[in-house]
Amino acid sequence: MRLSDVGESRVNGYLFVLERSLKSFLPADVVRDAVREIESHVRERIESADGSPNERAALEQILAQLGPPLRVAQAYSTERTVDEAVATGNLVPIVRAVGHLAVSTVSGFFMALWLLIGYLSAFCFIALAVLKPIFPANVGVQFIGGYPVALGAHFPLGDADLRGGYWVIPIALFAGLAIFVGTQRGARRFLSWWRERRVS
Amino acid sequence: MSHETWQEQLRRGGLDLAILLTVSAGPRYGLAIIQHLEDFTDLVVTEGTIYPILGRLTREGLLEAEWVEGEAPHPRKYYKLTRQGAKRLTNMKAEWREFAGKIGRLMDAAERSGHAPL
Repeated sequence: MRLSDVGESRVNGYLFVLERSLKSFLPADVVRDAVREIESHVRERIESADGSPNERAALEQILAQLGPPLRVAQAYSTERTVDEAVATGNLVPIVRAVGHLAVSTVSGFFMALWLLIGYLSAFCFIALAVLKPIFPANVGVQFIGGYPVALGAHFPLGDADLRGGYWVIPIALFAGLAIFVGTQRGARRFLSWWRERRVS
Repeated sequence: MSHETWQEQLRRGGLDLAILLTVSAGPRYGLAIIQHLEDFTDLVVTEGTIYPILGRLTREGLLEAEWVEGEAPHPRKYYKLTRQGAKRLTNMKAEWREFAGKIGRLMDAAERSGHAPL
């Protein structure tokens, strides 16, 4: 089947949307390669199609078999970002993979929320350990009505009842690192689970 | 688990093996792999999602990819099995046969016992 200008526009439109979607999470050279391969597939299918019942219907059938560009892009994303995150276990790939799943799945959204809370908590504890030697009076265990309620910092101190010596530093550091590692492992386990059940 | 989910998991589990088997006969490009899979199985539901899997198998070192120009009006990306891929395929085939054999024996035993469903 030989494509008319309208048919060419339809193919180019499909590839444009695919490219735009892939660009949001893949390096430029990988995007180029992926789009080139998908275009090769489409051109080959068009060549072997007989154009019945008409060009438009035949072309739409080819593109439907291939899948919507966003669906194809999502498959690339799932394969790549999740694999990288599970394989390396590094912070950036994990955040990127969970971030991508957060905008496309419900479980991904809740995982991203959990991840955000985990990383923020870890950051706060580590920040307390760093701030304690600089502002010893402002960081410590907060007491309200004579009962310890939180480990935190107050700026300005005001009438807050903060107690605790430098032993706060190892405790805050330990808590921060433990939460960080726990969050990281939980996220990696979630991504492994996701990888096992991904839809191909 | 619904029947569809079970079927989907079964399909997904077999897809990597099916792709490696398809390429084991010799280098093939994407569409040829898809057509081969479609001829023998119903593993391909959405054609476009096979390419990311080919990309992953390449990144894992099981396949090697190469663009070939001039063979057709458009370039084709050929995939071939690497030594590591051949080794993995041998293991996967053995595991699949063993698994299928055990399930088969289990089914035979269940049929022989002939209990009616409750």
